[in-house]
Amino acid sequence: MGQVTFKNLSKSFGPANIIDGINLEIRNSEFLVLLGPSGCGKSTTLRLLAGLETVSSGKILIDGKDVTELEPRERDIAMVFQNYALYPTMTVAQNIGFGLKAKKTPPKLIKEKVNDIAELLGLTHLLNRKPNSLSGGQQQRVAIGRAIVRKPKVFLFDEPLSNLDANLRLEMRAEIMKLHRELGATTIFVTHDQEEAMAMADRIVIMDNGLIEQVGTPTEIYFQPKTRMVAGFIGNPSMNFIEGQISKNCEISMAIGRIKVNIPPNSGKDVEVGIRPEKIKLDERKSKPTEIKVKVLVTNVELLGPRAVVKMQHESGQQLTSVVDHNEMDKYRVGTKISVSLASQALHIFPRIRD
Amino acid sequence: MLMNAAQMHIKYKLILPLVFLLFGIMLYPLFFSLWLSLQDYRLTRINDVQFVGLENFGLIATDPSFLNAMGNTISFVVGAVILELILGLSLALLIQKLVIFRGAIRSILLAPMFITPIAVGLMFRFLLNSEIGIIPFYLLKVGISLDWFGPGLALFSIVLIDVWQWTPFMLLMFLAGLEALPKTPFEAARVDGAGRWLTFSSITLPLLRPVIVVALIIRALDAFKVFEYVFAITRGGPGNSTETIMYYIYQTGFRFFRMGEAAAASILLIIFILIFVILIVNLSRPKVIK
Amino acid sequence: MIISFENQLSRFLGTIAIFTAIIVVLFPFFWIFLESLKPPSLGGRPDVWFFEPTWENWSEIVLNSGVPLNILNSFFIALITVVISLICGAPAAYAFSRFRGFHGARYSILAAEMMPPAILILPLFLLLYKLELIDSRIGVIIAHLTFVVPVITWFLIGFFDEVPKDLEDQAMIDGYTRFQAFYKVILPIVRPGLGAAAVFGFVLSWNDLFYSLLLTGAESRTLPVAIASFWTFRGIELGKMAVAILIAVIPVLILSYSIQKHLIRGIGGSGVKY
Repeated sequence: MGQVTFKNLSKSFGPANIIDGINLEIRNSEFLVLLGPSGCGKSTTLRLLAGLETVSSGKILIDGKDVTELEPRERDIAMVFQNYALYPTMTVAQNIGFGLKAKKTPPKLIKEKVNDIAELLGLTHLLNRKPNSLSGGQQQRVAIGRAIVRKPKVFLFDEPLSNLDANLRLEMRAEIMKLHRELGATTIFVTHDQEEAMAMADRIVIMDNGLIEQVGTPTEIYFQPKTRMVAGFIGNPSMNFIEGQISKNCEISMAIGRIKVNIPPNSGKDVEVGIRPEKIKLDERKSKPTEIKVKVLVTNVELLGPRAVVKMQHESGQQLTSVVDHNEMDKYRVGTKISVSLASQALHIFPRIRD
Repeated sequence: MLMNAAQMHIKYKLILPLVFLLFGIMLYPLFFSLWLSLQDYRLTRINDVQFVGLENFGLIATDPSFLNAMGNTISFVVGAVILELILGLSLALLIQKLVIFRGAIRSILLAPMFITPIAVGLMFRFLLNSEIGIIPFYLLKVGISLDWFGPGLALFSIVLIDVWQWTPFMLLMFLAGLEALPKTPFEAARVDGAGRWLTFSSITLPLLRPVIVVALIIRALDAFKVFEYVFAITRGGPGNSTETIMYYIYQTGFRFFRMGEAAAASILLIIFILIFVILIVNLSRPKVIK
Repeated sequence: MIISFENQLSRFLGTIAIFTAIIVVLFPFFWIFLESLKPPSLGGRPDVWFFEPTWENWSEIVLNSGVPLNILNSFFIALITVVISLICGAPAAYAFSRFRGFHGARYSILAAEMMPPAILILPLFLLLYKLELIDSRIGVIIAHLTFVVPVITWFLIGFFDEVPKDLEDQAMIDGYTRFQAFYKVILPIVRPGLGAAAVFGFVLSWNDLFYSLLLTGAESRTLPVAIASFWTFRGIELGKMAVAILIAVIPVLILSYSIQKHLIRGIGGSGVKY
């Protein structure tokens, strides 16, 4: 079990609202990732759930039980911190067993459980070492071991991989997912790394300015972003945005052309049209009504391994970015004019926010 | 606002013992001192204490020997602290350049600040004594005749003793300050071809400024309390040329038993120190906080 | 090469300066040591460097004087003062370091540390007099607490500041109360700091003359007061004074050597940041 509910949760420090009334249902055994730019409130949300910060208003429920006012130790949760927060004066074994000791578990049982966990995580030979003699990856394992040894209802991870180098990060990512599959405990994972979020999550919660922008599976988040913020935040290189006006007959006019769309945007006349870079195709054919054909000048080509990022400029000044396969790179020469097409079904339409 | 113990936030529980202790041993005595300063309170007539208002302050403020003690103390503080600052900084810079024995030399040079000031006072009292002291004895052999504790020189000698004992404190602070400095500005200066003096005056000194200010304040406030050297060597003399404010208060209160006046003097001292600290902090603040 | 300067002249001058400083610092110690071994008949003779060393002064002080009692008093007073200071100071320093709303409190600790003893000695003397605690060790302990407590508290704030806050968060998640987190996790981590603060407080109390001079009598006299009572122009007492000084100085030098690297953080550490 391990079902978490946020009801209208808010947190403010003085006049600043860090969390601004969020509602969220986290399912049992789910791997949920809280994703957002730094300062969006994702870590605070996690700390509120852990009981490390006091809630300003709203409620937190775990398995239907109101834990809003409970101390961290009464919530049956475990947490892995960004810098691991290992107790420097204790050995690895003592670190892992410290939570069990708090519950007055008999020393023999603690030893048994610690040994099991150490074996599971490959820490057995390190049990008598102190944390500062361990590598980053090993410290990370100890921190995870300390979390899972108590078999809590909910695991919280606060950007646990951001201090590791790239290879180790991939390795630990796989390991955490494997542990999650085996243990089946509800896991809430905070990160600012969208790739990590995409790879690990059952569902992703995108936060910005203390509000939830969208909740959904990685596929939903990527292919059906609900807000302009999500669309712009997810994807690398990020989505192209073109300003336009929408007319009554569902036609959008932009500086680069006009196009008919089937879904009318929910509000407003001024819109922003988004298109993912990989959806911008080189195209010499005659234009179809469901496409816009655009003549652009190639301004820059950057090879990124198997793919290349192509920067283009329309004569109106509109910049476009496209991603192409590296063996097509020859067709994009800097300084040449090419024509590309934007298909209407690839367009995301958002109301334009004036500022 | 009444709270029972269980409801009280843990942060208040944690400071409670300290608060009680400091109330008992500091705040209460402070107020007692304030009250004392308004009484004619003599140890010799302890049952005949009379409220005299601000009379003690009037007496003290016009007492030439209080003003003399204040003047002596200020000269002492300014002289000692400036010398210690210059010496401490120079030594710190030199030690930083040491290639070998750095730890050992640092430990030796820091030693004086840990030993009891009365011992320092007495050692120098005999080292500098005009009849049996080694230093005057050998100075005389090279033709220099100085009476270190004579009328002209006594205060300066006490400044020197303070410098001997407390330059190490400055050294300690500046060594730490120098160690904490970022490396890159110095590397940039080397690449830009800046000389040693330019590097020092335009990079080291400004970066060290906060440490210098803190060291100055701590040391100056400590120097205001100078008592042991005077007690060990001159007892205020010759005349009253080395009577410092602490010695003055000690004499007024415990030699002449005039507790009320002594309390008034100590309160004037505190006010003076407060003004001094506020001045220093304000003078240095805009550059300390970025 | 002892010192790294580019040109030879600065290297030479730098070396000279360092050596001068070392001699200036060490000479008084060397001299007082010689004096302690001089036979009383030669005491205070500046021209005598070679003599038959004798332990006469030492045995006189150790066997036939009040100095052993003074040492005991000093030790006992310093020890109790430090223990009380740690018990009151450590939790408070932790609170000042961790919780919001104590900014002013930090500086009142600093203010207490800077309080001139002149203002406290008068009321303390009168209070202790009324409580009949003049010439008692308790009286001196109370007086020494006025400067040791603020110093130790200030000292420890710097050490607590350096312990990551995540550690007690982790302990609380692991099932401990905030207070348990403090004494089971945080206190062990700052143990070196506690040790350094204790040693520093001990040295301060051990070295004090002002309060001890006015509050002690024959029974509770501390070592610095005893040293001050060798105050005499007669060279004949010089040897004994030298012994007493060495007894007061040597343990303190050894103790403070052991905490040297922590001192910075303690004295200036939390101050340098402001």
